[in-house]
Amino acid sequence: MSETPGLAARLERWGTAFENAALVILLGAMMLLAVAQIVLRIFFSFGFVWADELVKLFVLWIALIASIAASRSNRHLRIDVLSHFVAEKYARIPRIIVDAFAAFMCGFLAWHSWRYVQLTIEFEDTVLSNFPAWIAYILLPLSFALMCYRFVLSCGSDLIRTFRPGEGEGGDA
Amino acid sequence: MILSALLILLAIFGAPLFTVIAASAMLGYQREGIDLMAIAIEVLGIAGMPMLSAIPLFTFAGYLLSKSNAPQRLVRVTSAILGWMPGGLALVALAACAFFTAFTGASGVTIIALGAILYPALKQDGYPDNFNLGLVTTSGSLGLLFAPSLPLILYGVVAEVSVDNLFRAGVLPGLLMLVLLGGYSLWVNRHNRKPLAHFSWKEVGSALWEAKWEIPLPIFVLGGIYSGFFAVSEAAAVTALYVLVVEVFVLGEIKLRELPEVMRESMLLVGGILIILGVSLASTNYMIDAGVPQQLLEYITEFVSSQASFLFLLFIFLLVLGAILDIFSAIVLVVPLILPIAAQYGVNDFHLGIIFLAAMQLGYLTPPVGLNLFIASYRFDRPIMNVYAATFPFLLILMASVLIIMYWADLSLWWLPD
Repeated sequence: MSETPGLAARLERWGTAFENAALVILLGAMMLLAVAQIVLRIFFSFGFVWADELVKLFVLWIALIASIAASRSNRHLRIDVLSHFVAEKYARIPRIIVDAFAAFMCGFLAWHSWRYVQLTIEFEDTVLSNFPAWIAYILLPLSFALMCYRFVLSCGSDLIRTFRPGEGEGGDA
Repeated sequence: MILSALLILLAIFGAPLFTVIAASAMLGYQREGIDLMAIAIEVLGIAGMPMLSAIPLFTFAGYLLSKSNAPQRLVRVTSAILGWMPGGLALVALAACAFFTAFTGASGVTIIALGAILYPALKQDGYPDNFNLGLVTTSGSLGLLFAPSLPLILYGVVAEVSVDNLFRAGVLPGLLMLVLLGGYSLWVNRHNRKPLAHFSWKEVGSALWEAKWEIPLPIFVLGGIYSGFFAVSEAAAVTALYVLVVEVFVLGEIKLRELPEVMRESMLLVGGILIILGVSLASTNYMIDAGVPQQLLEYITEFVSSQASFLFLLFIFLLVLGAILDIFSAIVLVVPLILPIAAQYGVNDFHLGIIFLAAMQLGYLTPPVGLNLFIASYRFDRPIMNVYAATFPFLLILMASVLIIMYWADLSLWWLPD
Protein backbone atom coordinates (compact mmCIF):
# COMPACT_ATOMS: atom_id res chain seq x y z
CA MET A 1 0.00 0.00 0.00
CA SER A 2 3.08 2.25 0.04
CA GLU A 3 2.14 3.97 -3.21
CA THR A 4 -1.39 4.84 -2.13
CA PRO A 5 -1.64 8.59 -1.67
CA GLY A 6 -1.87 9.85 1.90
CA LEU A 7 -5.50 10.92 1.86
CA ALA A 8 -6.77 7.63 0.42
CA ALA A 9 -4.74 5.67 2.97
CA ARG A 10 -6.14 7.74 5.79
CA LEU A 11 -9.70 7.30 4.51
CA GLU A 12 -9.01 3.59 4.37
CA ARG A 13 -7.86 3.45 8.00
CA TRP A 14 -10.71 5.60 9.23
CA GLY A 15 -13.23 3.60 7.27
CA THR A 16 -12.03 0.30 8.71
CA ALA A 17 -11.95 1.76 12.23
CA PHE A 18 -15.46 3.10 11.84
CA GLU A 19 -16.81 -0.23 10.54
CA ASN A 20 -15.15 -2.10 13.39
CA ALA A 21 -16.44 0.31 16.01
CA ALA A 22 -19.97 0.16 14.62
CA LEU A 23 -19.92 -3.64 14.49
CA VAL A 24 -18.58 -3.91 18.05
CA ILE A 25 -21.21 -1.52 19.40
CA LEU A 26 -24.13 -3.07 17.49
CA LEU A 27 -23.19 -6.66 18.22
CA GLY A 28 -22.53 -5.85 21.87
CA ALA A 29 -25.75 -3.92 22.26
CA MET A 30 -27.72 -6.67 20.55
CA MET A 31 -26.28 -9.32 22.88
CA LEU A 32 -26.95 -7.31 26.03
CA LEU A 33 -30.44 -6.28 24.99
CA ALA A 34 -31.45 -9.81 24.03
CA VAL A 35 -30.06 -11.29 27.23
CA ALA A 36 -31.69 -8.56 29.33
CA GLN A 37 -35.03 -9.42 27.71
CA ILE A 38 -34.56 -13.07 28.65
CA VAL A 39 -33.70 -12.21 32.26
CA LEU A 40 -36.73 -9.92 32.48
CA ARG A 41 -38.96 -12.60 30.98
CA ILE A 42 -37.78 -15.40 33.26
CA PHE A 43 -37.55 -13.56 36.55
CA PHE A 44 -40.09 -10.80 36.21
CA SER A 45 -42.41 -12.10 33.46
CA PHE A 46 -41.93 -8.77 31.80
CA GLY A 47 -40.38 -7.37 28.65
CA PHE A 48 -40.02 -4.16 26.72
CA VAL A 49 -42.23 -4.05 23.66
CA TRP A 50 -39.71 -1.98 21.73
CA ALA A 51 -36.79 -4.29 22.49
CA ASP A 52 -37.71 -6.90 19.87
CA GLU A 53 -38.08 -4.31 17.18
CA LEU A 54 -34.79 -2.69 18.16
CA VAL A 55 -32.96 -6.04 18.01
CA LYS A 56 -34.33 -6.52 14.50
CA LEU A 57 -33.10 -3.07 13.49
CA PHE A 58 -29.70 -3.99 14.92
CA VAL A 59 -29.70 -7.04 12.65
CA LEU A 60 -30.44 -4.83 9.65
CA TRP A 61 -27.68 -2.39 10.55
CA ILE A 62 -25.19 -5.18 11.20
CA ALA A 63 -26.11 -6.70 7.84
CA LEU A 64 -25.49 -3.39 6.04
CA ILE A 65 -22.28 -2.41 7.80
CA ALA A 66 -20.96 -5.95 7.47
CA SER A 67 -21.70 -5.80 3.72
CA ILE A 68 -19.62 -2.64 3.46
CA ALA A 69 -16.86 -4.46 5.33
CA ALA A 70 -17.27 -7.47 3.03
CA SER A 71 -16.80 -5.23 -0.02
CA ARG A 72 -13.65 -3.80 1.50
CA SER A 73 -12.23 -7.23 2.25
CA ASN A 74 -13.51 -8.68 -1.03
CA ARG A 75 -15.53 -11.28 0.81
CA HIS A 76 -18.94 -11.08 -0.84
CA LEU A 77 -20.40 -14.45 -1.74
CA ARG A 78 -19.80 -15.20 -5.41
CA ILE A 79 -19.25 -18.06 -7.79
CA ASP A 80 -15.53 -18.39 -7.53
CA VAL A 81 -14.32 -20.33 -10.55
CA LEU A 82 -12.09 -17.90 -12.39
CA SER A 83 -9.71 -17.07 -9.57
CA HIS A 84 -9.04 -20.77 -8.98
CA PHE A 85 -8.60 -21.95 -12.54
CA VAL A 86 -7.57 -19.04 -14.71
CA ALA A 87 -4.17 -17.39 -14.63
CA GLU A 88 -4.09 -13.98 -12.96
CA LYS A 89 -3.30 -12.32 -16.29
CA TYR A 90 -6.51 -13.58 -17.93
CA ALA A 91 -8.72 -13.33 -14.85
CA ARG A 92 -8.19 -9.59 -14.67
CA ILE A 93 -10.34 -8.52 -17.63
CA PRO A 94 -13.47 -10.39 -16.46
CA ARG A 95 -12.81 -9.04 -12.98
CA ILE A 96 -12.80 -5.49 -14.28
CA ILE A 97 -16.12 -6.07 -16.06
CA VAL A 98 -17.64 -7.72 -13.03
CA ASP A 99 -16.50 -4.99 -10.63
CA ALA A 100 -17.77 -2.29 -12.96
CA PHE A 101 -21.13 -4.05 -13.03
CA ALA A 102 -21.16 -4.36 -9.23
CA ALA A 103 -20.28 -0.67 -8.87
CA PHE A 104 -23.08 0.27 -11.25
CA MET A 105 -25.64 -1.90 -9.42
CA CYS A 106 -24.64 -0.55 -6.01
CA GLY A 107 -24.91 3.00 -7.28
CA PHE A 108 -28.29 2.19 -8.78
CA LEU A 109 -29.45 0.58 -5.52
CA ALA A 110 -28.16 3.55 -3.53
CA TRP A 111 -30.10 5.96 -5.73
CA HIS A 112 -33.38 4.06 -5.55
CA SER A 113 -33.15 3.40 -1.83
CA TRP A 114 -32.41 7.10 -1.31
CA ARG A 115 -35.62 7.84 -3.21
CA TYR A 116 -37.45 5.50 -0.87
CA VAL A 117 -35.95 7.14 2.21
CA GLN A 118 -37.09 10.53 0.92
CA LEU A 119 -40.57 9.09 0.64
CA THR A 120 -40.53 7.90 4.27
CA ILE A 121 -39.49 11.43 5.31
CA GLU A 122 -42.35 12.89 3.31
CA PHE A 123 -44.89 10.51 4.83
CA GLU A 124 -43.36 10.88 8.32
CA ASP A 125 -43.08 7.11 8.77
CA THR A 126 -42.00 6.01 12.23
CA VAL A 127 -40.20 3.07 13.83
CA LEU A 128 -40.07 2.09 17.52
CA SER A 129 -43.45 3.81 17.99
CA ASN A 130 -42.32 7.42 17.48
CA PHE A 131 -38.83 7.72 15.99
CA PRO A 132 -38.65 8.99 12.41
CA ALA A 133 -38.07 5.94 10.21
CA TRP A 134 -35.51 7.62 8.00
CA ILE A 135 -32.97 7.57 10.86
CA ALA A 136 -33.14 3.79 10.79
CA TYR A 137 -33.28 3.53 7.00
CA ILE A 138 -30.68 6.12 5.93
CA LEU A 139 -27.96 3.51 6.32
CA LEU A 140 -29.38 1.64 3.33
CA PRO A 141 -28.55 4.19 0.58
CA LEU A 142 -25.40 5.11 2.47
CA SER A 143 -24.06 1.58 2.56
CA PHE A 144 -24.88 0.91 -1.10
CA ALA A 145 -23.08 4.15 -1.97
CA LEU A 146 -20.00 3.07 0.01
CA MET A 147 -20.05 -0.36 -1.63
CA CYS A 148 -20.26 1.40 -4.99
CA TYR A 149 -17.17 3.43 -4.06
CA ARG A 150 -15.40 0.22 -3.03
CA PHE A 151 -16.12 -1.55 -6.34
CA VAL A 152 -15.06 1.53 -8.31
CA LEU A 153 -11.75 1.46 -6.44
CA SER A 154 -11.05 -2.20 -7.08
CA CYS A 155 -12.14 -1.87 -10.71
CA GLY A 156 -9.86 1.16 -11.08
CA SER A 157 -6.82 -0.50 -9.52
CA ASP A 158 -7.24 -3.50 -11.83
CA LEU A 159 -7.49 -1.13 -14.81
CA ILE A 160 -4.29 0.61 -13.78
CA ARG A 161 -2.51 -2.70 -13.39
CA THR A 162 -3.68 -3.82 -16.83
CA PHE A 163 -2.55 -0.75 -18.72
CA ARG A 164 0.49 0.20 -16.70
CA PRO A 165 2.02 -3.01 -15.44
CA GLY A 166 4.41 -2.41 -12.60
CA GLU A 167 2.51 0.57 -11.26
CA GLY A 168 -0.35 0.67 -8.82
CA GLU A 169 -0.52 -1.26 -5.60
CA GLY A 170 1.62 -4.34 -5.44
CA GLY A 171 1.65 -5.32 -9.11
CA ASP A 172 1.59 -8.99 -10.07
CA ALA A 173 2.20 -11.47 -7.33
CA MET B 1 -34.00 -13.13 -22.20
CA ILE B 2 -30.69 -11.78 -23.51
CA LEU B 3 -30.35 -9.66 -20.39
CA SER B 4 -31.01 -12.66 -18.15
CA ALA B 5 -28.35 -14.65 -20.00
CA LEU B 6 -25.98 -11.75 -19.55
CA LEU B 7 -26.66 -11.73 -15.82
CA ILE B 8 -25.93 -15.45 -15.58
CA LEU B 9 -22.67 -14.87 -17.44
CA LEU B 10 -21.74 -12.09 -15.01
CA ALA B 11 -22.50 -14.41 -12.09
CA ILE B 12 -20.26 -17.12 -13.54
CA PHE B 13 -17.50 -14.57 -14.05
CA GLY B 14 -17.68 -13.91 -10.31
CA ALA B 15 -19.88 -10.84 -9.87
CA PRO B 16 -21.01 -10.56 -6.23
CA LEU B 17 -24.21 -12.59 -6.16
CA PHE B 18 -26.24 -9.90 -4.44
CA THR B 19 -25.68 -7.52 -7.35
CA VAL B 20 -26.78 -10.14 -9.87
CA ILE B 21 -29.88 -10.99 -7.86
CA ALA B 22 -30.74 -7.32 -7.35
CA ALA B 23 -30.37 -6.76 -11.09
CA SER B 24 -32.69 -9.63 -11.94
CA ALA B 25 -35.30 -8.42 -9.44
CA MET B 26 -35.14 -4.90 -10.84
CA LEU B 27 -35.45 -6.20 -14.39
CA GLY B 28 -38.60 -7.95 -13.25
CA TYR B 29 -39.95 -4.77 -11.66
CA GLN B 30 -39.20 -2.87 -14.83
CA ARG B 31 -41.16 -5.38 -16.90
CA GLU B 32 -44.16 -5.20 -14.57
CA GLY B 33 -44.05 -1.42 -14.26
CA ILE B 34 -43.28 -1.49 -10.53
CA ASP B 35 -41.30 1.44 -9.16
CA LEU B 36 -37.68 0.33 -8.72
CA MET B 37 -37.51 1.76 -5.22
CA ALA B 38 -39.60 -1.22 -4.16
CA ILE B 39 -36.32 -3.08 -3.82
CA ALA B 40 -35.42 -0.85 -0.86
CA ILE B 41 -38.59 -1.97 0.91
CA GLU B 42 -37.63 -5.61 0.34
CA VAL B 43 -34.08 -5.17 1.65
CA LEU B 44 -35.41 -3.34 4.70
CA GLY B 45 -37.56 -6.45 5.17
CA ILE B 46 -34.47 -7.96 6.82
CA ALA B 47 -35.59 -5.98 9.87
CA GLY B 48 -38.97 -7.69 9.78
CA MET B 49 -37.86 -11.31 9.84
CA PRO B 50 -38.11 -13.35 13.02
CA MET B 51 -35.15 -15.28 14.50
CA LEU B 52 -32.64 -13.60 12.24
CA SER B 53 -30.58 -12.22 15.15
CA ALA B 54 -29.54 -15.84 15.79
CA ILE B 55 -27.35 -15.76 12.67
CA PRO B 56 -24.89 -13.00 13.66
CA LEU B 57 -24.88 -14.13 17.28
CA PHE B 58 -24.12 -17.81 16.65
CA THR B 59 -21.56 -16.94 13.99
CA PHE B 60 -19.75 -14.61 16.36
CA ALA B 61 -19.78 -17.22 19.14
CA GLY B 62 -18.40 -19.81 16.71
CA TYR B 63 -15.54 -17.61 15.53
CA LEU B 64 -14.67 -16.74 19.10
CA LEU B 65 -14.58 -20.43 20.05
CA SER B 66 -12.41 -21.26 17.06
CA LYS B 67 -9.87 -18.57 18.03
CA SER B 68 -9.60 -19.81 21.62
CA ASN B 69 -8.17 -23.13 22.76
CA ALA B 70 -11.64 -24.69 22.81
CA PRO B 71 -10.82 -26.86 19.74
CA GLN B 72 -7.92 -28.53 21.61
CA ARG B 73 -10.12 -29.13 24.64
CA LEU B 74 -12.88 -30.56 22.44
CA VAL B 75 -10.44 -32.99 20.79
CA ARG B 76 -9.12 -34.05 24.19
CA VAL B 77 -12.59 -34.73 25.61
CA THR B 78 -13.63 -36.66 22.49
CA SER B 79 -10.39 -38.68 22.56
CA ALA B 80 -10.91 -39.54 26.21
CA ILE B 81 -14.44 -40.77 25.51
CA LEU B 82 -14.03 -42.48 22.11
CA GLY B 83 -10.30 -43.11 21.82
CA TRP B 84 -10.40 -46.65 23.23
CA MET B 85 -12.26 -47.94 20.16
CA PRO B 86 -10.29 -49.51 17.31
CA GLY B 87 -9.63 -46.79 14.74
CA GLY B 88 -10.32 -44.43 17.59
CA LEU B 89 -8.70 -41.31 16.28
CA ALA B 90 -10.66 -41.34 13.01
CA LEU B 91 -13.89 -41.57 14.99
CA VAL B 92 -12.69 -38.84 17.31
CA ALA B 93 -12.07 -36.61 14.29
CA LEU B 94 -15.57 -37.22 12.89
CA ALA B 95 -17.36 -36.65 16.19
CA ALA B 96 -15.38 -33.58 17.23
CA CYS B 97 -15.74 -31.95 13.81
CA ALA B 98 -19.47 -32.62 13.62
CA PHE B 99 -19.97 -31.11 17.03
CA PHE B 100 -17.82 -28.08 16.29
CA THR B 101 -19.45 -27.44 12.91
CA ALA B 102 -22.91 -27.52 14.44
CA PHE B 103 -21.85 -24.78 16.81
CA THR B 104 -19.92 -22.71 14.29
CA GLY B 105 -22.25 -22.89 11.32
CA ALA B 106 -20.36 -24.60 8.53
CA SER B 107 -18.37 -21.58 7.45
CA GLY B 108 -15.10 -23.37 6.93
CA VAL B 109 -13.67 -22.60 10.37
CA THR B 110 -13.84 -26.26 11.37
CA ILE B 111 -11.12 -27.31 8.92
CA ILE B 112 -8.92 -24.47 10.04
CA ALA B 113 -9.50 -24.84 13.78
CA LEU B 114 -9.80 -28.62 14.19
CA GLY B 115 -8.11 -29.89 11.03
CA ALA B 116 -4.89 -28.25 12.10
CA ILE B 117 -4.91 -30.41 15.24
CA LEU B 118 -6.32 -33.62 13.79
CA TYR B 119 -4.45 -33.90 10.48
CA PRO B 120 -0.96 -34.17 11.99
CA ALA B 121 -2.27 -36.34 14.83
CA LEU B 122 -3.81 -38.83 12.38
CA LYS B 123 -0.57 -38.98 10.42
CA GLN B 124 1.44 -39.60 13.55
CA ASP B 125 -0.91 -42.41 14.49
CA GLY B 126 -0.07 -44.19 11.22
CA TYR B 127 -3.20 -43.55 9.18
CA PRO B 128 -2.64 -43.32 5.40
CA ASP B 129 -2.14 -39.77 4.25
CA ASN B 130 -4.87 -39.66 1.60
CA PHE B 131 -7.36 -41.02 4.07
CA ASN B 132 -6.47 -38.28 6.56
CA LEU B 133 -6.78 -35.56 3.98
CA GLY B 134 -10.17 -36.84 2.81
CA LEU B 135 -11.41 -37.32 6.35
CA VAL B 136 -10.46 -33.85 7.54
CA THR B 137 -11.79 -32.19 4.38
CA THR B 138 -15.10 -34.04 4.67
CA SER B 139 -15.45 -33.41 8.37
CA GLY B 140 -15.34 -29.67 7.84
CA SER B 141 -19.01 -29.54 6.98
CA LEU B 142 -20.22 -32.67 8.71
CA GLY B 143 -22.35 -31.30 11.54
CA LEU B 144 -24.58 -28.98 9.63
CA LEU B 145 -27.69 -31.10 10.21
CA PHE B 146 -27.30 -30.72 13.97
CA ALA B 147 -28.67 -27.85 16.06
CA PRO B 148 -27.89 -24.98 16.19
CA SER B 149 -26.18 -24.84 12.77
CA LEU B 150 -26.54 -21.71 10.69
CA PRO B 151 -27.93 -23.36 7.51
CA LEU B 152 -30.74 -24.97 9.54
CA ILE B 153 -31.69 -21.60 11.03
CA LEU B 154 -31.53 -19.89 7.65
CA TYR B 155 -33.74 -22.57 6.09
CA GLY B 156 -36.26 -22.08 8.89
CA VAL B 157 -36.29 -18.32 8.32
CA VAL B 158 -36.57 -18.57 4.53
CA ALA B 159 -39.13 -21.39 4.44
CA GLU B 160 -41.04 -19.87 7.34
CA VAL B 161 -41.16 -23.11 9.28
CA SER B 162 -40.37 -23.87 12.91
CA VAL B 163 -36.62 -23.97 13.51
CA ASP B 164 -37.19 -26.10 16.60
CA ASN B 165 -38.77 -28.78 14.46
CA LEU B 166 -35.93 -28.57 11.94
CA PHE B 167 -33.49 -29.14 14.78
CA ARG B 168 -35.41 -32.31 15.67
CA ALA B 169 -35.62 -33.42 12.06
CA GLY B 170 -31.85 -33.17 11.56
CA VAL B 171 -30.79 -35.45 14.41
CA LEU B 172 -31.10 -38.92 12.85
CA PRO B 173 -30.03 -37.95 9.31
CA GLY B 174 -26.96 -36.27 10.82
CA LEU B 175 -26.20 -39.38 12.87
CA LEU B 176 -26.64 -41.54 9.76
CA MET B 177 -23.89 -39.60 8.01
CA LEU B 178 -21.62 -39.97 11.04
CA VAL B 179 -22.25 -43.70 11.31
CA LEU B 180 -21.63 -44.37 7.60
CA LEU B 181 -18.44 -42.33 7.54
CA GLY B 182 -17.31 -43.93 10.81
CA GLY B 183 -17.96 -47.39 9.37
CA TYR B 184 -15.99 -46.56 6.26
CA SER B 185 -13.09 -45.25 8.37
CA LEU B 186 -13.00 -48.48 10.37
CA TRP B 187 -13.12 -50.57 7.19
CA VAL B 188 -10.30 -48.67 5.46
CA ASN B 189 -8.11 -49.02 8.51
CA ARG B 190 -9.10 -52.61 9.27
CA HIS B 191 -5.42 -53.65 9.24
CA ASN B 192 -4.43 -50.81 11.51
CA ARG B 193 -6.98 -51.14 14.24
CA LYS B 194 -5.07 -49.69 17.03
CA PRO B 195 -6.95 -47.83 19.66
CA LEU B 196 -5.73 -44.35 20.46
CA ALA B 197 -5.38 -45.09 24.16
CA HIS B 198 -6.88 -47.29 26.84
CA PHE B 199 -10.05 -46.03 28.34
CA SER B 200 -9.40 -44.26 31.60
CA TRP B 201 -11.90 -42.61 33.86
CA LYS B 202 -9.10 -40.46 35.16
CA GLU B 203 -8.37 -39.05 31.69
CA VAL B 204 -12.09 -38.53 31.03
CA GLY B 205 -12.37 -36.69 34.31
CA SER B 206 -9.39 -34.46 33.76
CA ALA B 207 -10.33 -33.73 30.12
CA LEU B 208 -13.82 -32.77 31.24
CA TRP B 209 -12.39 -30.67 34.04
CA GLU B 210 -10.16 -28.82 31.58
CA ALA B 211 -13.21 -28.06 29.46
CA LYS B 212 -15.41 -27.20 32.43
CA TRP B 213 -16.29 -23.78 31.08
CA GLU B 214 -17.41 -25.02 27.69
CA ILE B 215 -19.26 -28.15 28.87
CA PRO B 216 -22.34 -26.21 30.08
CA LEU B 217 -22.69 -24.62 26.64
CA PRO B 218 -24.14 -27.53 24.63
CA ILE B 219 -26.15 -28.60 27.65
CA PHE B 220 -28.02 -25.36 28.13
CA VAL B 221 -28.19 -24.46 24.43
CA LEU B 222 -29.42 -27.85 23.21
CA GLY B 223 -31.41 -28.53 26.39
CA GLY B 224 -32.92 -25.06 26.25
CA ILE B 225 -33.88 -25.31 22.59
CA TYR B 226 -35.17 -28.90 22.58
CA SER B 227 -37.19 -28.37 25.77
CA GLY B 228 -38.70 -25.18 24.37
CA PHE B 229 -37.34 -23.08 27.22
CA PHE B 230 -35.32 -20.87 24.85
CA ALA B 231 -36.29 -19.58 21.45
CA VAL B 232 -33.46 -20.02 18.96
CA SER B 233 -32.63 -16.32 18.95
CA GLU B 234 -32.54 -16.30 22.75
CA ALA B 235 -30.23 -19.30 22.83
CA ALA B 236 -27.98 -17.49 20.36
CA ALA B 237 -27.78 -14.37 22.52
CA VAL B 238 -27.01 -16.36 25.66
CA THR B 239 -24.39 -18.42 23.81
CA ALA B 240 -22.65 -15.37 22.37
CA LEU B 241 -22.53 -13.51 25.67
CA TYR B 242 -21.44 -16.61 27.60
CA VAL B 243 -18.65 -17.49 25.16
CA LEU B 244 -17.50 -13.87 25.18
CA VAL B 245 -17.32 -13.74 28.98
CA VAL B 246 -15.63 -17.14 29.30
CA GLU B 247 -13.00 -16.90 26.54
CA VAL B 248 -12.14 -13.25 27.07
CA PHE B 249 -12.61 -12.56 30.78
CA VAL B 250 -12.48 -15.92 32.56
CA LEU B 251 -9.88 -17.83 30.53
CA GLY B 252 -8.23 -14.81 28.93
CA GLU B 253 -7.41 -16.78 25.75
CA ILE B 254 -8.57 -13.92 23.56
CA LYS B 255 -7.35 -10.44 24.44
CA LEU B 256 -9.89 -7.68 24.72
CA ARG B 257 -8.12 -5.71 22.01
CA GLU B 258 -8.34 -8.67 19.61
CA LEU B 259 -12.11 -8.68 20.00
CA PRO B 260 -12.99 -6.06 17.33
CA GLU B 261 -10.99 -8.02 14.76
CA VAL B 262 -12.78 -11.29 15.64
CA MET B 263 -16.15 -9.54 15.49
CA ARG B 264 -15.30 -8.07 12.09
CA GLU B 265 -14.02 -11.42 10.77
CA SER B 266 -17.19 -13.18 11.83
CA MET B 267 -19.51 -10.48 10.51
CA LEU B 268 -18.00 -10.54 6.99
CA LEU B 269 -19.74 -13.82 6.32
CA VAL B 270 -22.93 -12.63 8.03
CA GLY B 271 -23.02 -9.46 5.93
CA GLY B 272 -22.53 -11.51 2.79
CA ILE B 273 -25.40 -13.84 3.69
CA LEU B 274 -27.86 -11.22 4.91
CA ILE B 275 -27.45 -8.83 1.97
CA ILE B 276 -28.18 -11.73 -0.38
CA LEU B 277 -31.19 -12.59 1.77
CA GLY B 278 -32.36 -8.97 1.45
CA VAL B 279 -32.19 -8.71 -2.33
CA SER B 280 -33.48 -12.27 -2.73
CA LEU B 281 -36.63 -11.29 -0.86
CA ALA B 282 -37.20 -8.98 -3.82
CA SER B 283 -36.40 -11.47 -6.56
CA THR B 284 -38.30 -14.40 -5.06
CA ASN B 285 -41.35 -12.31 -4.21
CA TYR B 286 -41.34 -11.12 -7.78
CA MET B 287 -40.98 -14.65 -9.13
CA ILE B 288 -43.73 -15.98 -6.89
CA ASP B 289 -46.04 -13.13 -7.96
CA ALA B 290 -45.18 -13.87 -11.57
CA GLY B 291 -46.15 -17.51 -11.00
CA VAL B 292 -42.74 -19.03 -11.65
CA PRO B 293 -43.23 -21.94 -9.21
CA GLN B 294 -46.53 -22.88 -10.91
CA GLN B 295 -44.95 -22.77 -14.35
CA LEU B 296 -42.06 -24.90 -13.11
CA LEU B 297 -44.53 -27.31 -11.57
CA GLU B 298 -46.56 -27.61 -14.79
CA TYR B 299 -43.38 -28.22 -16.69
CA ILE B 300 -42.14 -30.85 -14.26
CA THR B 301 -45.46 -32.70 -14.00
CA GLU B 302 -45.25 -33.39 -17.73
CA PHE B 303 -42.24 -35.59 -17.10
CA VAL B 304 -42.54 -36.63 -13.49
CA SER B 305 -45.56 -38.14 -11.87
CA SER B 306 -44.43 -39.99 -8.75
CA GLN B 307 -42.84 -38.63 -5.62
CA ALA B 308 -39.95 -41.05 -6.00
CA SER B 309 -38.97 -39.79 -9.42
CA PHE B 310 -39.47 -36.19 -8.31
CA LEU B 311 -37.04 -36.79 -5.44
CA PHE B 312 -34.49 -38.23 -7.81
CA LEU B 313 -34.79 -35.22 -10.08
CA LEU B 314 -34.39 -33.02 -7.02
CA PHE B 315 -31.25 -34.94 -6.05
CA ILE B 316 -29.62 -34.33 -9.43
CA PHE B 317 -30.68 -30.69 -9.36
CA LEU B 318 -29.26 -30.14 -5.88
CA LEU B 319 -25.99 -31.83 -6.80
CA VAL B 320 -25.51 -29.40 -9.67
CA LEU B 321 -26.67 -26.46 -7.55
CA GLY B 322 -24.30 -27.36 -4.74
CA ALA B 323 -21.39 -27.58 -7.14
CA ILE B 324 -21.98 -23.98 -8.22
CA LEU B 325 -23.48 -22.09 -5.29
CA ASP B 326 -22.57 -21.91 -1.62
CA ILE B 327 -25.13 -23.34 0.79
CA PHE B 328 -26.35 -19.98 2.10
CA SER B 329 -27.07 -18.40 -1.28
CA ALA B 330 -28.67 -21.62 -2.43
CA ILE B 331 -31.06 -21.72 0.53
CA VAL B 332 -32.10 -18.12 0.09
CA LEU B 333 -32.54 -18.28 -3.68
CA VAL B 334 -33.92 -21.71 -4.36
CA VAL B 335 -35.91 -22.85 -1.33
CA PRO B 336 -38.87 -20.45 -1.85
CA LEU B 337 -39.23 -21.73 -5.41
CA ILE B 338 -39.05 -25.46 -4.75
CA LEU B 339 -41.12 -25.46 -1.54
CA PRO B 340 -44.52 -25.24 -3.31
CA ILE B 341 -43.42 -27.75 -5.94
CA ALA B 342 -42.22 -30.27 -3.36
CA ALA B 343 -45.46 -29.81 -1.43
CA GLN B 344 -47.40 -30.81 -4.55
CA TYR B 345 -45.49 -34.10 -4.57
CA GLY B 346 -46.31 -34.61 -0.91
CA VAL B 347 -42.83 -33.89 0.44
CA ASN B 348 -43.00 -32.58 4.00
CA ASP B 349 -41.45 -29.10 4.52
CA PHE B 350 -39.11 -30.33 7.24
CA HIS B 351 -38.08 -33.38 5.25
CA LEU B 352 -37.39 -31.13 2.28
CA GLY B 353 -35.21 -28.93 4.50
CA ILE B 354 -33.10 -31.85 5.63
CA ILE B 355 -32.81 -33.18 2.06
CA PHE B 356 -31.83 -29.76 0.82
CA LEU B 357 -29.14 -29.19 3.43
CA ALA B 358 -27.79 -32.74 3.27
CA ALA B 359 -27.45 -32.43 -0.51
CA MET B 360 -25.91 -28.99 -0.28
CA GLN B 361 -23.39 -30.41 2.17
CA LEU B 362 -22.10 -32.44 -0.77
CA GLY B 363 -21.49 -29.14 -2.51
CA TYR B 364 -18.70 -28.36 -0.05
CA LEU B 365 -16.85 -31.39 -1.43
CA THR B 366 -17.84 -31.37 -5.09
CA PRO B 367 -15.19 -30.44 -7.63
CA PRO B 368 -14.45 -28.04 -9.14
CA VAL B 369 -15.35 -25.32 -6.62
CA GLY B 370 -16.29 -27.02 -3.34
CA LEU B 371 -15.28 -24.69 -0.52
CA ASN B 372 -13.79 -27.35 1.76
CA LEU B 373 -11.56 -28.64 -1.03
CA PHE B 374 -9.92 -25.27 -1.38
CA ILE B 375 -9.64 -24.58 2.33
CA ALA B 376 -7.99 -27.99 2.83
CA SER B 377 -5.69 -27.55 -0.16
CA TYR B 378 -4.59 -24.19 1.18
CA ARG B 379 -4.43 -25.14 4.84
CA PHE B 380 -2.51 -28.42 4.40
CA ASP B 381 -0.51 -27.25 1.42
CA ARG B 382 -1.58 -30.04 -0.92
CA PRO B 383 -2.37 -29.80 -4.66
CA ILE B 384 -6.07 -29.40 -5.33
CA MET B 385 -6.24 -32.51 -7.56
CA ASN B 386 -4.81 -34.49 -4.68
CA VAL B 387 -7.55 -33.20 -2.38
CA TYR B 388 -10.23 -34.04 -4.98
CA ALA B 389 -9.00 -37.62 -5.18
CA ALA B 390 -8.59 -38.06 -1.42
CA THR B 391 -12.09 -36.75 -0.73
CA PHE B 392 -13.86 -38.71 -3.46
CA PRO B 393 -14.65 -41.91 -1.51
CA PHE B 394 -16.06 -39.83 1.33
CA LEU B 395 -18.15 -37.90 -1.17
CA LEU B 396 -19.62 -41.16 -2.50
CA ILE B 397 -20.58 -42.25 1.02
CA LEU B 398 -22.23 -38.94 1.75
CA MET B 399 -24.13 -39.21 -1.56
CA ALA B 400 -25.42 -42.60 -0.48
CA SER B 401 -26.52 -41.15 2.83
CA VAL B 402 -28.33 -38.29 1.07
CA LEU B 403 -30.24 -40.85 -1.02
CA ILE B 404 -31.18 -42.77 2.13
CA ILE B 405 -32.31 -39.53 3.79
CA MET B 406 -34.41 -38.71 0.72
CA TYR B 407 -36.24 -42.00 0.41
CA TRP B 408 -36.63 -42.73 4.10
CA ALA B 409 -38.74 -39.79 5.23
CA ASP B 410 -39.36 -41.18 8.72
CA LEU B 411 -35.70 -40.75 9.49
CA SER B 412 -36.32 -37.01 9.44
CA LEU B 413 -39.88 -37.01 10.70
CA TRP B 414 -39.93 -39.48 13.60
CA TRP B 415 -39.37 -36.86 16.31
CA LEU B 416 -41.72 -34.19 15.02
CA PRO B 417 -44.90 -33.41 16.91
CA ASP B 418 -48.12 -33.98 14.92
